[in-house]
Amino acid sequence: MKRVFVNLDKCLGCNGCMIACAVEQSSAGDLFKAISEMPLPVSRIEVKTVDEGGSFPLQCRHCEEPYCIDACIAGAIRKDPETGLVLSDEEKCVGCWMCVMTCPFGVIRVSLLPDKKGKIAVKCDLCQDRKIPACVEACHTGALLFCEVEQFISLVSKSKGDRDVLLNSR
Amino acid sequence: MCYLIVGNCAAGINAVEGIRKLDKNGKITVISDENYPVYCRSLITDYVAGTRKKEDILYREKDFYEKNKVDLILGETVKGVDVSKKEVILQKGNPLPYNKLLIAAGASSKPLSIKGEEKHGVFGFRTLHDAEEIIKTGEKTGKAVVFGGGLIGLKAAYGLKKRGLDVLVMVKSSRLLSRTVNAEAAAILDKWFKKNGISIRTGIGPQEILGNGNVEGVLLDNGEKISVKLVIVGKGITPNISLVKDSPIKTHLGIITDEFLQTNVEGVFAAGDVAETTDMVTGTGEVNALWTAACEQGRIAGMNMVRKDKKYPGSIGANSADFFGLPFMSVGYAGEIEEGYEELTGSNDPEEYSYKRIVLKGNRLVGFTTINKIENAGVYTALIRNKADISSIRDILPEDYFDYPKVKDLLERKEGFRESISPQGEIIRIA
Repeated sequence: MKRVFVNLDKCLGCNGCMIACAVEQSSAGDLFKAISEMPLPVSRIEVKTVDEGGSFPLQCRHCEEPYCIDACIAGAIRKDPETGLVLSDEEKCVGCWMCVMTCPFGVIRVSLLPDKKGKIAVKCDLCQDRKIPACVEACHTGALLFCEVEQFISLVSKSKGDRDVLLNSR
Repeated sequence: MCYLIVGNCAAGINAVEGIRKLDKNGKITVISDENYPVYCRSLITDYVAGTRKKEDILYREKDFYEKNKVDLILGETVKGVDVSKKEVILQKGNPLPYNKLLIAAGASSKPLSIKGEEKHGVFGFRTLHDAEEIIKTGEKTGKAVVFGGGLIGLKAAYGLKKRGLDVLVMVKSSRLLSRTVNAEAAAILDKWFKKNGISIRTGIGPQEILGNGNVEGVLLDNGEKISVKLVIVGKGITPNISLVKDSPIKTHLGIITDEFLQTNVEGVFAAGDVAETTDMVTGTGEVNALWTAACEQGRIAGMNMVRKDKKYPGSIGANSADFFGLPFMSVGYAGEIEEGYEELTGSNDPEEYSYKRIVLKGNRLVGFTTINKIENAGVYTALIRNKADISSIRDILPEDYFDYPKVKDLLERKEGFRESISPQGEIIRIA
């Protein structure tokens, strides 16, 4: 299946993917309206910092045998047998955090419910209604790619050194 | 092929799905002494609290059994297993034959084992039936006493408090959660429960349940009498192993299983709260009676019933819950620090109910407890499962910014169990 991959050499840590994701998850679907929504929409991708000063965008890997599904005491997280996507039915989530406790990537995040009615776990659904996930579309440098893993590996090996070219071209 | 599954909860249902991954046509029969289609046992808390309706705690869609071609037998108790004839003996019906058998019969609430316990108004906190009876009795009374300060007791207390009852938790030991978290974390949770209106008394247990037919009160072991009509027993669980006691199937704490979750009898498997498996942290046989473990074991056992080639890496004590908006987790080693163990703590603020503790044994992470700091916790769990050497990252382990990119190279494992594809296109294997 197609997944979101990151070519770390190209990621500049602009956080554009996070903003695009949060907007996609908002009710309004528009940045300027989304920032005043209560609760604030939560981005399903997170740009982490790494020791060397670099950035590392990270979101659900849609694992073959996901720990989060075993852990979900509410039966809210399931794997779509056709697409392979690991999806959460947010209506069913009771906020027990078992999925957060078991996800090896730490990509399940906490979102407030409207009217302070508690919190639920939220995760990336690979923008299943879109052709290309919002985070990938928003990535200015082409660091994020939406493709099969084999395709990603061949693309990255071809683009080795692109970051040096980019940084040296100023 | 004829698969028989005793038990219709987490392990049983995941076994059905495991079998159907590999065998679309074999005959599957699921048998349970409960009278409901599979529901989320852990969500009876939410049902008692009134935040979920009964129909909203179903684990699978109503057509699950039909879709998976499962013959479902409800309200029937399995009395024994005849492994030489390959059949199970039922309480009411005729013996049922099998080619492959899975015992996923779960566990039962441990009783208080005191006089008067049979009176109406004393309930465990495990089944939907328990929950319905608790709700009915709770309506007639405004007060409940919970015996047991473990997770079951606390979940019951939380649900009843949310429903509007006055709740008193009585713990025989000196503190809450003595088997789930260390004393420091327990003190934070104790304070939080009290702040949210739940009374807690420690060092006291029940001696006798009073009343005629219905519970009227409890005599405590310090001689004190309290008046109450609803008593919840949260003293832990006992695996339902009685059905194999006259068979050659071996038991210890639970039904003993091997690395394929098979019992000592070929073709007979066990999974879930009834099964004893190797604990990944202690290396000894344990019954880790947890929903997560039951799902994983059920699926693997189901697949092994079709083709015995999927190894189970072992179970791990892992709990997570949210009480009145305060999340907490505890995985692996949760006791006090003994010789050979080491503790790392982050920027803890008990006043703000925030806490993180990491436990190391040599260069291995063997446990963690967090309160109110839960994001990225699964990364610790993965390090524990993979028995990773954490010497290069030990200083940053308890930090709030600890996350996957800092450990990705440590998660690589040659002999893997579950494969995932990292954001960089690498295969990550987690036990």
